[in-house]
Amino acid sequence: MTPETLDTLKLCGIVILLAPLAGAILAGALGPRLLRSHAHWPAILGVGAAFAGAVVIFTQMRGVTEGATTALLPVYDWISIGTNSIFRVEFLIDPLTSVMLLTVTGVSLLVVIYSRDYMREHDHPERGYERFFAFLALFVFSMCALVLGGNFLLLYLGWEAVGLCSYLLIGFYYGRPAAAAAAKKAFLVNRVGDFGFGLGIFLIYLTFGTLEYGAVFELVQQGLTGTGQALSDGRITTIALLLLCGACGKSAQLPLHVWLPDAMEGPSPVSALIHAATMVTAGVYMIARCGAIFTASATAMTVVAVIGSVTALFAATIALTQTDMKRILAYSTISQLGYMVLGVGVYAADSAVFHLFTHAFFKALLFLGAGSVMHAMGGIIDVRQFGGLKRILPWTFRTFVIGSLALAGFPLLSGFFSKDEIIHHALQAHPILGIMGLVTALLTAFYTFRMVFLAFAGPERIPEGVHAHESGKWMLAPLFVLSIGAIGAGYLGVAGKPFHTFLAPVFEHTFTAANPAAHGAAHGAAEAAHPSFWAHYGLMILSGALSIIGIAAAYVLYVQQNWIPGLVKATFPRVHKMFHNKYFVDEIYDAGLVSPARNAGRVCVGLDDYLIDGLVWLATAIPRAFGYLVRTFQSGLLQGYGLSMVAGIAVVVVWVLWA
Amino acid sequence: MTLDALTQLGPEFMLLIGACIVLIVGATAASQRVQWASPVALVVVLLAILATWRLGVPEGDTSIPGLWLTPLTYYVRWITLGIGALVILANWHQPSESERGEYMAMILFSLLGVLLTASANDLVVLFFTIELVSIPTYVLIALSRQDARAAESSVKYFFLGAMSAAILAYGLSFLYGAAGTTTIQTVGSGLSVAGHVTGAPVSSTALVGWLLIFAGLAFKVAAVPLHVYVADVYEGAASPITGMLGFVPKLAGFIALIKIFAAFDWTLPQSVFWLVWIVAAVTMTVGNTLALIQRNVKRMLAYSSVAHTGYMLVALLVGPVAGEGPMRDGVAALLFYVAIYGTMNLGAFAALTAFKTGQRAVETLDDIAGLAARAPIAALGLAVCAFSLMGFPPTAGFLGKLYVFGSAFSLGESHPFHQAVIALAIIGVINSAIGAAYYLRIVSTIYVRAEDAPAAPASGRPVRWCLAVCSIAMLILFAWPSQLASQARSATVALHATPTRYHAVSEDPDAANDTSPDDFDPGH
Repeated sequence: MTPETLDTLKLCGIVILLAPLAGAILAGALGPRLLRSHAHWPAILGVGAAFAGAVVIFTQMRGVTEGATTALLPVYDWISIGTNSIFRVEFLIDPLTSVMLLTVTGVSLLVVIYSRDYMREHDHPERGYERFFAFLALFVFSMCALVLGGNFLLLYLGWEAVGLCSYLLIGFYYGRPAAAAAAKKAFLVNRVGDFGFGLGIFLIYLTFGTLEYGAVFELVQQGLTGTGQALSDGRITTIALLLLCGACGKSAQLPLHVWLPDAMEGPSPVSALIHAATMVTAGVYMIARCGAIFTASATAMTVVAVIGSVTALFAATIALTQTDMKRILAYSTISQLGYMVLGVGVYAADSAVFHLFTHAFFKALLFLGAGSVMHAMGGIIDVRQFGGLKRILPWTFRTFVIGSLALAGFPLLSGFFSKDEIIHHALQAHPILGIMGLVTALLTAFYTFRMVFLAFAGPERIPEGVHAHESGKWMLAPLFVLSIGAIGAGYLGVAGKPFHTFLAPVFEHTFTAANPAAHGAAHGAAEAAHPSFWAHYGLMILSGALSIIGIAAAYVLYVQQNWIPGLVKATFPRVHKMFHNKYFVDEIYDAGLVSPARNAGRVCVGLDDYLIDGLVWLATAIPRAFGYLVRTFQSGLLQGYGLSMVAGIAVVVVWVLWA
Repeated sequence: MTLDALTQLGPEFMLLIGACIVLIVGATAASQRVQWASPVALVVVLLAILATWRLGVPEGDTSIPGLWLTPLTYYVRWITLGIGALVILANWHQPSESERGEYMAMILFSLLGVLLTASANDLVVLFFTIELVSIPTYVLIALSRQDARAAESSVKYFFLGAMSAAILAYGLSFLYGAAGTTTIQTVGSGLSVAGHVTGAPVSSTALVGWLLIFAGLAFKVAAVPLHVYVADVYEGAASPITGMLGFVPKLAGFIALIKIFAAFDWTLPQSVFWLVWIVAAVTMTVGNTLALIQRNVKRMLAYSSVAHTGYMLVALLVGPVAGEGPMRDGVAALLFYVAIYGTMNLGAFAALTAFKTGQRAVETLDDIAGLAARAPIAALGLAVCAFSLMGFPPTAGFLGKLYVFGSAFSLGESHPFHQAVIALAIIGVINSAIGAAYYLRIVSTIYVRAEDAPAAPASGRPVRWCLAVCSIAMLILFAWPSQLASQARSATVALHATPTRYHAVSEDPDAANDTSPDDFDPGH
């Protein structure tokens, strides 16, 4: 890359960070008094500038035809003394960063625009309007910092900052106990993951003596520690598993998935942006970024793949029985994130990132569509309370169906291509995991269209006292844009695969080089060059068929013969109860962890009230007694002070001279 | 002494002349509609900052008798004048109008004292400059509010301060007697303390001198056991001037300590090392535990100021360029920390001032309960400053503590007491955790507890500006600390011309051999 390119990249990186930050500060500082109902403008402009920066970075990266496609750009020394720089604020810009930035800022921009109308009631801004936009812009800043950061320290700071924004936004309606509890739950569960993540980074620093990506990955690939000794398998596996622990928390993978469904208490745009399209994919991004570390340990990769596929299937089964639209979508997000984790676990990081990219479009679309329904229904989102909204919300319905088709993997929409790739790689690596992926695909199609039919098909039913109306243009425009993405994004991954070619240099030395399946394929190179029709398209046809079967089954069960679900429920009450109650994971955690912790807390409070307070009283009693003692000898306070000072000095002088 | 040499003292002269002008302006206050004393004082400080910037870094200029202008002077000018400008903002409306001229002039004189302390190269000059810092503060406390308590705390502070000045002067005279010179630069060679050069141990006379000087300065920096005045004085004085009391005498005291330690070439007997060690450990612990049981926020912050003195003593004990790694300079850590401490402490007191309703001062935890609802921005500022005092990221207080304790941890194994210093740093880290408890109580009281007596805040704009600058500075310095840190680092250059560390120099060469250098027993 030429120096001019590097300068442009650096400038764009700075704009991407500072513009949303400035937007957040302006919205927060000027919002309450000055901007009031215009508080969305700083956020829109800030995020818009960030998106422009991301586009420029992308075009610059596309223009790089030869040489390295990775740029490490030092911005400034964060902590430096003299000439020694300890930690540096630096950007790492490569195709992966570029794709992530485009996704994050693009979806963010649409969501911020959508929120302008969503956060209003009859064109009056809701309470905390400016707070909402300030937090949203702050989130964009944090997420971009996470993605742009060139070392693990910045990754960690961004990681914690997005967690904080997520906490603040889940608890946006902090007056509602459910929202406050959900925010607390998200915070605590993420703390578990982040604890492991922090330990992992600490271990990286201890092992390699640096936190800079390039330096760490190079040492890993050479199999050396920072002091030049051989790197043991155990150490690298431990690091990878600790990092994975952080990814499980942030990306809501088993067993730390419990916070994400509850996080739907936040406003719908937040669910769309943070809990579907961007923040929750940070875990996948991190594993892809740290490919060198993960691929160095076959054990860790297997664990990653298993966690991903199990989570995908597990969450899909729960989604079958939920009735809250946003919760169905939340479980489907967990399930789709499971696909992405499975993708990186089977060495198909490019496919995982591709799925991340397409998923951002259709899942954000679905959440915003659900938000539009919720807006029209006066805050009600339970599909048992309304139905047949097709005619009342025509545009929401159409875009929602497009999103659902993409999510269900309907042939030739974006989700179809990206999901198919992951299943393809999974079948090659671990056939069982691949089959689990296929079953999940069937379930996905079924539960998605169960939701669509319950909400939009059938006779019109709306809750009493609700004046249902289609959303305004600020809300519909983002839906249209996202629909185009949900339809078309997948074509970047077929016909010459421009998306994968663009990403290829990032994973060249990590996932691609370490992939055992690729080595096997190299033997059959001749066969690979001329694959038979079934080897090439067989899986595609199969998964497309599964998707259609799932949709058809949902149609039969929920539109034509809608007595069947009741029968099934009555026939298999235990299974239904298990799915409906999410495998009782919350209850198990509550009985196994939360209650004991709470009881321990009560014991501590008791100890504090009696034992510690008693000790404190005792501890203060001694100086107090001493004070009384001194006071009886002294006529006034001042002399007492003076005497104690002189006496103290005299003792010290004597001690030092004769000790 | 030429005119050229005098221009090197531009900032100092500006403060001196400015203080006189402010006195005159203040005297005409009765006939004026606009109160000019505070704006003029602010302009004077800003001009002095401008002069500091124009003059640049002095490179060890000794052409003015009694003074030695070094990068330390430059650094201290910047932080003193910068925080001084904030102090003036915080005190903008503080005393009654007829006394504001005197009040502002006293602030300027006190700042002038700090600047000269940083340049002092003579024991007598050092004594005078330290007193120039202290004497105006006695007046400031008395003037700060019309209240019997203010007068009482002023008198208390004055008598105890006078006593500490006497002890300091006594100690300096011992040192002069031992060294035969009053020039600080040559005190070291006069004492022949550099044991590795001449082999001669420190004489008892010099040692007594050192102890008395340390005691006198320990009073200024509020180290245990000379901290007894702190809580009463802080409680008695008005909040905005308390913010200054936590910084200005402490900075002057630590600069003087650094100079005296440097005069001894950072080479002192083992017993002295343990003395400072114990004082540091006890200062942190006593300050934090006493702060923990206070209900009066000002007393709480007063004892927290004692605790912070303890952290700074850790860095002082580490000394310059001891050990290895980029954080090895304890003195730079100290100078870095004191600037951050001054800002965040002033911010906390400015917030208390901003919360003031009418004439009723905000003092106890009950007074600040639920204030976030009434003054959200001021509450946020106080929260940032409290987090910074706690040492939490993303505030500069975190980096300050990191640097101070990091300097202790990076002490190399060649240092005879490195284990003891690391133990001290661990005590410091534990103390920071204890300290978090009472700072968090302030924050939670503001945000969580219901308000008892809702009323509109009635403080002026300048104090809000002061609070805003302090809290924003804490955030910006976290993101961008390198400028301040590297200035602090270069300020110590003149202080370690020779490789420095504590040598286990003992009075009796045989006794030194008896004790292992790594001995943890504080009895030695």
